Amino acid sequence: MKGVYVLLAVMALCFTLIPIVAYLFGGWFAYWGHALLAITFSVTVVLIRTRYYWEED
Amino acid sequence: MAPPVPEVTPELTVGVITAIASFLAVSILLGFFMRKKAKGFEEWLVGRGDIGPLITGFALVASYLSGWAIFGNAGLGYAYGWSGSWLIGTTCVMGMALCLVIGYRMRRYVALGARTVPEMLRVRFESRLVQALAGLAMIVLLMVYSVGQYKAMATVWTITTGTPFYGSLLATAVLILVYLAVGGYTGTQWVSGFQGVLLTVVGWALGIATLVWAGGPTKIVEAIGTQLFIKPGGVQTEIPLGDYTLPLPPLGGLAFPGVDYVGVTAAIFMFLFMATGFPHNIARFLGARKITKREYWMMLLILIVGGLTPLWIGVVGFAARAVWGGALMADEYNPMYGDSAAVYASISAGGVPLASLFAASVFAAAIASLAGMVMIMATNITRDLIHNTFPKASPKRLLGLTKLMLVPFIAIPLWWTFTSPPPILSEFMAGSAVAQAGIFFFVVGVSMYWKRATKWGATAATVYGLIITFFHPNAYGKLVGLYHWGYWALLLMFGSALVYLLISLATKPLPENKLNILFPERNH
Repeated sequence: MKGVYVLLAVMALCFTLIPIVAYLFGGWFAYWGHALLAITFSVTVVLIRTRYYWEED
Repeated sequence: MAPPVPEVTPELTVGVITAIASFLAVSILLGFFMRKKAKGFEEWLVGRGDIGPLITGFALVASYLSGWAIFGNAGLGYAYGWSGSWLIGTTCVMGMALCLVIGYRMRRYVALGARTVPEMLRVRFESRLVQALAGLAMIVLLMVYSVGQYKAMATVWTITTGTPFYGSLLATAVLILVYLAVGGYTGTQWVSGFQGVLLTVVGWALGIATLVWAGGPTKIVEAIGTQLFIKPGGVQTEIPLGDYTLPLPPLGGLAFPGVDYVGVTAAIFMFLFMATGFPHNIARFLGARKITKREYWMMLLILIVGGLTPLWIGVVGFAARAVWGGALMADEYNPMYGDSAAVYASISAGGVPLASLFAASVFAAAIASLAGMVMIMATNITRDLIHNTFPKASPKRLLGLTKLMLVPFIAIPLWWTFTSPPPILSEFMAGSAVAQAGIFFFVVGVSMYWKRATKWGATAATVYGLIITFFHPNAYGKLVGLYHWGYWALLLMFGSALVYLLISLATKPLPENKLNILFPERNH
């Protein structure tokens, strides 16, 4: 289950970086950077679901 | 010298009407075909639980991407520059993925007899009170959200046909009535799936086309960097648009989420919670079939592709601002203002074909959301209030009454838009979105996973959330000194969470034997 905590930390990092990226970089870099952080967050949360908390087996 | 804002031409009007008529025809045919398959009230509500990941994924995209995302986002980018990004929802994919992960468990409650989201709550808490209260809260909040859909459609119709705004509102209401009357709202999942594909493709195409039309990304950044904020009505300020926060003057300016990083934080949390909190979103899982891990990943891919559409619509707004400056904020564009940016940009960047497709997409998004919401509000009355009180009521009568209830739930938000259209659509809708996120993320989403949640926790959180909703800075917040959108939104979302948590811990959950049915042991 250690892997879950690592993945949760990745999710938290993605979330926290959003305003920081906007403040530090701005413009298109922040705009599409936010999308990239959101995609990373999403892949991580689905990974947690499918690998550690799958319900359909 | 900036190019002129385009005028209406007969070709454009014909193109738009043809595209919208084609879209409606396909949707209605799909709905009609699926309606034939439905046997009885129960199946009419959720189908047969056999909808696969492709349709469920795109249906989720369609119900999530309402008039706000496919249309209003351009208004945000246009009016507020980069600071509009916070409501454009650059991070909305996060919330959609969370909805995918959390919402899938709705299937468990369908197996236990739930057919609507409030019914899921009745099953979860064995409480008709929670069901009825959630139904009422949904009616209030979805009513507000519906107003935005009307403004989106009426603005498109006004610009592309030359009809006055209020005439356009009536025209769109007639179109919706026709759509619902001939069965476009049935087979919702399939219709929404088709609509999700349409607006994703058109949203991406329009965003890329306007990016090129405005001279590329660098030119847009340079142009926005020189722009100043202009209030609806054309009053120019000295506040530059070049940053991710827009320090609008207090007290009125504090009602804008991008005014500072408190508002920004609240907006990010709103997008994290709201996809799960939207009842019309999470309801998509009521008709879903069992899916494999591979299909789960496929759904995520659909959500990512669809979830980037709002960003492309935001790009349309930036491009329009770069090309036309603040011209669309002038009084002659009242009451559409910056919300008209997407339509004009679609005409200039892609001519009649793209403008027509975009118009059809706005109708697709607005109708998908509106139909979903109207359906939920109507069933809130029949299923969650009437059937809840009179369990032996005839299913046939309930079905008839549900159809009848569609009329007031179409008319009330129409009247609201008619008498008081919001200047920036997405900003207005964010008020309702915060409330739906704050209340239902916890009451519906978390309750499916947290065994310790109680009906009193859910009830208290719903009541608290509804009360705080009325203290929105642009509603009654001013009376108690609540001028700041960010503080209001955080107070609503985290206040609801805290109330839900504390009251649940202080009260008795369902007995263990009943919880074991709702939360069966995992096999591994």
